[in-house]
This record gives sequence, C-alpha cells and structure tokens, in this order.
Amino acid sequence: MGWKDAIEGKPGDLVLLNGNEAIARGAYEAGVRYASSYPGSPSSEITETLSRVPASDLYAEWSVNEIVSLEGATAASFAGLRAMCTMKADGLNVAFDFLTSMNLGGCKGGLVLTVADDPQGHSSVKEYDSRYLAKSAMVPVLEPSTVKEAREMAIKAFDISEQIKGPVLLRSVTRVSHSRGLVRLGALAQERKKAEFPVGQRFLTKTLFHMKARDRLIQAAIIFEECKFNYTEGPDRADTVIFCCGTSLLYAREAINILGLQGKIKLVKIGTTFPLPERFILSNLQGVKNVIFAEEIRSFIEEGVMLIYARHNIGNIRFYGKISGDISGVRGPFCGEMNPDIIIKAIARVKRIQYEAPGYSPETIVEFSTMLPPREYAMCPGCPHRASFWAVKTAIAVDSRDCIVAGDIGCYCLGAWDTGYNLFDSLHCMGAGPGIASGLSKLEKFGLKRPTLTIVGDSTFYHAVIPGLINGRYSGSDFLCIVLDNSVTAMTGHQPHPGSGISNHGRSTTAIPIEEIVRGLGIPCAITDPFENDKTAETISSTLREPGVKVLILRRECALVAARKHQHKKQRVYVDQSLCRGESCGCGRFCTSVWGCPGNIWDPVAGKAVIDEAVCAGCGVCATLCPAGAIIAEEVDK
Amino acid sequence: MENCELEYGAAARLKEGVLDPDLCSGCGACVGFCPYIKSYNERVAIIHNCQICDGVCYRICPRGFTQYTSLRREVFGAVDFDPVLGVNKEIYFARAGEEEMRSCGQYGGVVTALSAFALKDGFIDSILMTGGNLKGTKPVLVSSTSGVAKCAGSKYTAAPTLSLFQEAIKNGYQKIGVVGRPCQVTASRKMQQAPEINGQRISLVIGLFCMGAFSPELYTLVKEKGLENCDRMDIPKDVLFSSSGEDTIIPYDEMRQFIRNACLSCYDPLSELADVSVGSTEYDPGWNALIIRTTKGAALVEQACANGYIEINPYPSELLPLLKRAVFRKKKRVLGRVDFTYLNLPAPEREYFLSTGDDD
Repeated sequence: MGWKDAIEGKPGDLVLLNGNEAIARGAYEAGVRYASSYPGSPSSEITETLSRVPASDLYAEWSVNEIVSLEGATAASFAGLRAMCTMKADGLNVAFDFLTSMNLGGCKGGLVLTVADDPQGHSSVKEYDSRYLAKSAMVPVLEPSTVKEAREMAIKAFDISEQIKGPVLLRSVTRVSHSRGLVRLGALAQERKKAEFPVGQRFLTKTLFHMKARDRLIQAAIIFEECKFNYTEGPDRADTVIFCCGTSLLYAREAINILGLQGKIKLVKIGTTFPLPERFILSNLQGVKNVIFAEEIRSFIEEGVMLIYARHNIGNIRFYGKISGDISGVRGPFCGEMNPDIIIKAIARVKRIQYEAPGYSPETIVEFSTMLPPREYAMCPGCPHRASFWAVKTAIAVDSRDCIVAGDIGCYCLGAWDTGYNLFDSLHCMGAGPGIASGLSKLEKFGLKRPTLTIVGDSTFYHAVIPGLINGRYSGSDFLCIVLDNSVTAMTGHQPHPGSGISNHGRSTTAIPIEEIVRGLGIPCAITDPFENDKTAETISSTLREPGVKVLILRRECALVAARKHQHKKQRVYVDQSLCRGESCGCGRFCTSVWGCPGNIWDPVAGKAVIDEAVCAGCGVCATLCPAGAIIAEEVDK
Repeated sequence: MENCELEYGAAARLKEGVLDPDLCSGCGACVGFCPYIKSYNERVAIIHNCQICDGVCYRICPRGFTQYTSLRREVFGAVDFDPVLGVNKEIYFARAGEEEMRSCGQYGGVVTALSAFALKDGFIDSILMTGGNLKGTKPVLVSSTSGVAKCAGSKYTAAPTLSLFQEAIKNGYQKIGVVGRPCQVTASRKMQQAPEINGQRISLVIGLFCMGAFSPELYTLVKEKGLENCDRMDIPKDVLFSSSGEDTIIPYDEMRQFIRNACLSCYDPLSELADVSVGSTEYDPGWNALIIRTTKGAALVEQACANGYIEINPYPSELLPLLKRAVFRKKKRVLGRVDFTYLNLPAPEREYFLSTGDDD
C-alpha cells in the first residue's frame, strides 16, 4: 500500500493504491522521465510518489508555480521524452497562458497535464471545472472513474499525446485522487529514449497554428470513438439512459441497484469527455425517451450531448441534468459534490417512483444538528500562524486606523475565520493579497483613509507575490506585506520550496532566502519570531506607520515539521491553577476561549485552565501570553 | 465574574466612552493586567471584548466615570479644600540637595531626589517612572537609586507608565511608588481601590504638574527636524530643544496641534490627588515648585530635607496668584467643554469656577 507499491511493485501484483498513486504508477509504467508540479490538494501525491522513482529514471521537481512547472515538463516533451505536469484546478489558471500558447505549436514526447478538481472545495477555496479550460485551450480530456482506470488512463494519455503531437489533460477529482482501490500493476516501459533536440526542430506559437490545434482535436475525436474508456452497462435498449463520467459512474450504479432498476436503465460511461465521441453518443441516444446526466461540478457532457442531439433528428428526448435543475444536491444544481442520492432523486422523478431515503428525516437531522457543538476549522497545536495572527490582531487594534487586511491562499486562509480571529477582509487566489493591498493604497486621494496590510505565505511568496511587490514599489504603493514563513509548503503536505534549500529528493540545494529577494527589490525587510509575540506585535505596529512598501517576515517552523524533526517536546507546559484567573477579570478564559489552541483546555471542576499534554506541542507561547503567569513552560531533557 | 451584553461590559464602556472619543490619556493603568488591552507607541487599544461586566479596566480609568469627592475623601480624609490648587498643606520652592542630581533633572531635580530618597529610606521598594529620550519614551520599573537617575528629565508625551504595575506585582514588590502625570495620579488612586489587581500596594504617588502631553507624532516631527539627538526639551513659553548648548525654538502655536485630545479636557493640571506635586516654578529654572498634599507626603519631604536630599524655600508670595490664575483658567475652560463628563464634581465647586471671572 502507498508509494512503495506504486514504485517498487512488480508487474502482476495486485496492490491497494490511492488514485494519485495509481496515476503516478501509470506514468511510471509509461516511461515518464520528467515530472513537475506545484503542490495542491487533491493532486499532490502524484509528484510525491514520482519523487520516489530512482533519480536515474526520472527527474522530479516541485516548481515555484504551475506555469514554470508546465514549461519545464513541455521542454522535456520537446526533447522527445514523456513528461507529466500535475496541479490542482486553480493551478491550471496559472499555467493557462503557456498552455494555450504551446498547444498551438504542439509538442513531441507524450505530455500529460494532470489536473485534480475539487468538487465541494474540500481543500480549496473554489470548486471549478477544469474541463472548460481544457476545451478553451483545445486540449483533449480523459476522465477516470476509478483508481484502476486512473492508472490505465495515465498510460493511454501518453500514447494519445504522441499520436496527436499535443498535450492531453487527465482530469481527476478528489474522490478519485483520494480514494483507494485495487490496482493490477503492469510492466515498466523497456524503451529508454534519449533526450534529443535536433538542430532545426522548432516549437513556435503562431496564429496560423490555431488550425493545427483544431486538427489535433479532430484526430483525438477519431481516436476517442474507438476508445475502451467509453462503454455502456445494463440493457442494450432502455427508454432511460444515464450519461455519466468520473466518479458519477459509481454513484449511478449504486442508485440503479438501490432502486432495483437493473435491466431497466442503461448506463453510458464517457471516459473521453473532450472532444466527445459523437458516434458513440448518437448510437446511445437512438430510441431513448429520457436522458439523465451525472457528472461532477458543471454541465460539461450535458451540454455536449444536447448539442449532438440538436444537430440530429433523433425524436423526442427529455433531458434531466443540472441545466433542467433535476440533478441537484443541497446546494442546488452546479454547486457541491455529486452523490448517489442526487441520482436516485432524478431517477425517481423520471420513473415516477416514490422513494423514501432510509435513515432520519431531514427535519430530524436539522433537529439533531442543533444539538452538536459548533466546530470551527482549527490550526494545529503549536502552529506559528496562531501566534502571528494574534500579533497582527493586536497591532491593528493598537494602530486604531482600522487597517484593511488582504489575505492570501495557504493554511493561513484560516485567518479569514474564527480560528484566525476573522482577520481577513479579502481572500482570493495565490498572490492576490499584495495586488489588492497595492490598489487600495492608491485610493487615499479618493477618500479611503484606512491603511492596508497583506498576509502571504512563504511558498506563496515565491509562487506569486514577487510581481505584486515589484508593482507596489514601482507604483509608489503604501502597504505592509507580512510573510508567514514556516519553511515549507505546509498545507499540501510539507513540500520543500526555494527558501527551504531542499530538493524533491530530500537533497540539499541552494536556498533563496525571502529577505534577500525583498532587499534586492529595494524594499525594507525585517524578520521576527511570532513566538516572541509582544515584540512581533510592536514591530508590526511601528512598521505599519512607515511609508511605502514594507515586508515583515514572521519566521517560525511549522509545528508538524518541528515535531517530526525533533521527535520530542522541547518544553513541558502546564497550568499552576493557584495562579489561574479563570473566568475572572484580567483574563476571562483567554487561553481556552480566545487564544484557541487545542492544547489549552478547561477544567470545569476547578473552574480553571489546564493543558491537554497529549495534544500540546510544547511551544510555550500561551505561557508568554497568560496575564497571570499561571501557564508555566519548563525545559525538559530529551 | 458576571458576563454582560456587549454594550454594558467594562471593555465596551472603555472603548465607547474613552478610546473611541479620543479621551484616553495614555496613562497605562488598564494595560498590563489584562490580556486584551495593549499599548504600543503610546496608543492604547482593546483587542477583544471580554464582556466582563464590572471589569477593573473601566473602574481604574482616570477618564472613566470618577466620583471625585469620594476619591478625595479616600486620599485626604475630611480636610479643607482649595478648589484651585487642590488639598495642600504647604507650597515651596525646592531643589535637589546635590548639584549632580540638579543637573540631570529638568529644573531643580526634586522628583529624582525624592524618588531616590523614598527608595533608599524604605518608603517604597520600587517605583514606576518614565525613561527614554526624544526618540521615544518607555515605562521603567525602578528599584535602585541609580535607576532613578536614568529617568531624570521631563518627557512631554504620554508614556503608559502604569502599564508596568503588574510587572512590579509579579516581581513581588510590596510598596510601589509612582511618578506620574495628573491622569496617572488619579488612576493610581483608583487602582488603590481595586484589590483584584493588588492596587493597595501603591504606597507613594509623586505627581507632576502637566498642562497637556503631546501625541507620539511629536517624535515624527522631532525626527523630521533632525532634533532627535537633543538632550533636553522644555516649554518655557515656546518649545525649546537644546543640544550641547545650542537651542532650537519651535513656536508653541506650531506644536499645539500635537497636544493629545484627552489633555484638553483635563481638570487637574497640578496632580491634586498626589502625596506631593512637583512642577516648574515658571520663574527660576534652578528650582521646582513643590506642593505637599498628604501626611505621607509631608513626612517624605521632611525626612528628605533632613537627609540633605532636597532643600526648600518658601514659595514667593507674589508668584502664588500667577500660579492660581493659570490653573483657574485651565479648569474654567475645561468645565465648558462638552466632553468633560467623566468627573463627578460637587456642584459648589463647579459653581465657583463658572460664577467667578478670570481676574477675580
């Protein structure tokens, strides 16, 4: 199970992998030589896994952002090698400028762009459908339904890419990437291609090459007509058909089984979602009365199938999907994740079946849910961000000019909600914070008197913050940029970044410190430790009053990394309850009701605070903040 | 501790009644005990509303609602009361006994000398003072006479000196002295009524004369004008910066804008609730004016004289009317302000100022 099986497993082995490991295995079997990525859930384990392949077989890289990542992978393709570039849906935007350019000229070695969408935004600030971007960029799309198929499609994607001489997009979703399934491993490619970039070979972008891209799609459509990833299940003829793709295949199967309609409803599974296999679809529309669509996020195949229907004289068919509003979860159509219940409801409507979902009634569920204590997102015990946010909150309060806080994307998004003391006034994409702060700072002459501050992460700094800082300084902006530097790309699983001085393979490499970049731009830069909370707050407070663009780095290693490295607590933290002020004036349960670390808990019998030593990371910051000096942090031996 | 709806909590009252209308004098009394009140760069803010109903923060705030009559009674008992100068036993010209102490002080070095003597003689075991220079001030907790000397010289902005009181408590000090502006003197007296913060450990209050403190923007101006390394600032009439004998003068009218808003509604230029009040004589820069107000203050001065720490002369009778007139005018002006609502003055006292002309 896990990366070991994916990389070291033998052909014929039946192993349990998650979808990302299966994609990595498929790429490995297909002879991938270059794997690059900017980490992003739910895609990160693909490059994590490929980073375990012996360096003699594969070059793997955590790039600073998605566009340079795709550029690097494409370069390998230009040299005739197979390459995979992986990102989450949001990353495709970042890479999009290059993707739309390179796809005109095309490439050589198989180039697979794996994009993992996140329906319902389990680990993202937005849920969107990368298939529309692929369509816009004129890149063919394969969409696996299961972990097993994820491996097969990864292999096939390289073949198709080489056939059409252009990139292929493999679209995963959270429930494929992060579910586990049995996968029969195949043999690794024996052929070892040499990287070659022959004199005279050129890859250029020209408007005329739009035609090349179009022709490539026509070629892909022909290949897809015969593709084994498109198939039907159930009866040959049925008046009701469900068109599905991705994990919705499994939900649709389950829905049919629950309703006992096996043999009555036909499942049409589309694995090649762009361009759609027109003849295959047409053949499954003949003689049909009702079509139900089941797919994640938006109505991509729904629109495609309805367009095919409109162009042919097939007779009366009623379509039930997101456009009609029949495929709709609790958030309504188009929003949120698919599940079997959504499909059951649609089938029940089409078939006029009375269906009572098992379990509690919606009213009872609402009643029960009010009995549950509200639970917020939580930052880890010992998380330096909590200390940073408290310092920022303090400094802004003391500054008293109602500073606007432009947030950014990372674990520290939690700054927008209770856990981060509701600090953020804006939160969008990576790198948006400095741009927004810069823009706001120009509005003083139009009446905006509030100063501006932006909070970005260290990995985000390299990814997208630098242009915003340059623009800010160049245009004479006035804002403070706080970089929360915890030394890793923490949210996506502790991947290294250019500041950490460690490569994908864990070897040491040149570190590029944030402060050197900032000072190189002529921007003043200070560094403090957020665990020295009072000093940090005071520094923020005074820096806010300085003119121009300023950078303040709040540097402290991620608590999880620190715990893994040191394997023991550096301090034992406990409460001297004789000193604890509890709910009294001069405290009012600061540590347990305001500070918000999971390690600080309440002893209801004593009416005093106590430390949950099983959870406490031993950082001791609460001890420095406790107004009564009741929390004690003691050095302990190893 | 009872919790309240937002609008009744102490923190909310402090915010809405004092901080938001810019009436905070920056004394620092509310800072230090509470995790939700902080002060940087002489600005005080509430970070989080604890919703505690009768919180100490509002109760001890000199700009929070103050029963002046009962506070005076707590400090002085029932005594004759002078509506202009406040309760006073004696008024002197005074100066430090040693030339060295005089030279480091603003005028006669009396505050430095009295503080040092009080520490040495055991009146107190520590004292809250204000250190710093023209780059910025900082509150200092002092427990040695050498530490006292480092804090000599007037500071003209509102250092939150009282924010270190809890530091003194945590260090176990039992008899804590305070050198403060009038607002800090009032706060110290209110703190003495708050056992939950061990306020009763305030044992000596040396008050300063104060016609108003500047906001921290003063330091920006000082920096802009290249005066931050001057070793002395004074306001004889205009504002004077001296650096090794060289003087720079900025007209007071140019500086008026920097006076803290809170100081404009201050009724107490002479630290009326102090044990002793010390200020400029407005006449002879080698001497201080010294008002003895309490029995404790009288004992301190008597022993400091006996030990040669200070020397005193009678206050020249021809100067007293000048001092009285200046204070009278300030008080009368303040009584006319709409934001002067925090002191509960007895009606006759209010009437005295309103019915008397400037020149009477």
